[in-house]
Amino acid sequence: MDSKPSAEPLPGARRPPVPVKIVIAGGFGVGKTTAVSVISEIPPLTTEAAITSVAADIDRTGEVPAKVTTTVALDFGCITIDEGLKLYLFGTPGQDRFGFMWHDLSEGALGALVVVDARRIDDCYPAVDYFEKIGLPFVVGVNMFNGILTHDLADLRWALAVDPGIPLITFDARDRLSVRDALLSVLRHTLSRTDAA
Amino acid sequence: MFPEPVSADESQSDPDGSTVSRLRPYLLTAGRTEPVDHTLEIEAQVQTTGLGATAYRRLAFEYREIVQLCTTTMSVAEVAARLRLHIGVARVLVADLAAQGFLIVQRPVLHYSQDVTLIERVIRGLEAIR
Repeated sequence: MDSKPSAEPLPGARRPPVPVKIVIAGGFGVGKTTAVSVISEIPPLTTEAAITSVAADIDRTGEVPAKVTTTVALDFGCITIDEGLKLYLFGTPGQDRFGFMWHDLSEGALGALVVVDARRIDDCYPAVDYFEKIGLPFVVGVNMFNGILTHDLADLRWALAVDPGIPLITFDARDRLSVRDALLSVLRHTLSRTDAA
Repeated sequence: MFPEPVSADESQSDPDGSTVSRLRPYLLTAGRTEPVDHTLEIEAQVQTTGLGATAYRRLAFEYREIVQLCTTTMSVAEVAARLRLHIGVARVLVADLAAQGFLIVQRPVLHYSQDVTLIERVIRGLEAIR
């Protein structure tokens, strides 16, 4: 009768799955949110990313610091891989000024997809630089708006000046299977890096 | 016991209480923005325990909402989005509850980027998407 409540799962509940994640980075409006929403099994959620740097002063002074609100929307979705594994996709703006959240997102990530709009490729440089610096495997995915690639891929690679070892692919952020394949490219690239290590 | 949330100055709280102001979330966490376990990942999985379900009624409002929500397992990021909290705030509240045994937290295995078996498992899972 008196079954003692415990810090165990509720009756009938499975233990939580292990989460894994892939980061989807790129400039504003390049298709990150579209890509997440087209493949996520939950409607993509948006939240405001934390400010992790304003911590201590609040306790000390009992006052709220004047400047606490460097927030940015973070889109994410998820895909159940199997009973014990769940893949999260985090879409993050690729601008320098949001760099403060990249560490949190990248820590432990399986890899990253840097989404590029061929009409304004500059937007992706901060993300490319960051992932190169921390050694996170990434793939550059050119989002083909309207299914049309306006530049030759070889020209794009030259313009992007990414390392020859970085895969450069095209995909359509509105197409579920195309996004799936882009994510598979990321994982295969990670795998090739793991094998090489 | 739980840290008591610092009560908001009336003049600063929202008139209708329906929206989360930029100030309020930090008051919820008694002024702390560092979680008890400040390394808690935003994709960490959160699930209510038997203990949490029992303690439910005694909990402060914000904690109660999380315990209620997490009877379905979800990530810290989802908790934040569904309760309209900043991720940093959700982290603090979840870590508090986990420290009390009211939530189970399944954290990611870091450095699994070196784990070939795990990556292959994710690849197979994605390939199954049609």
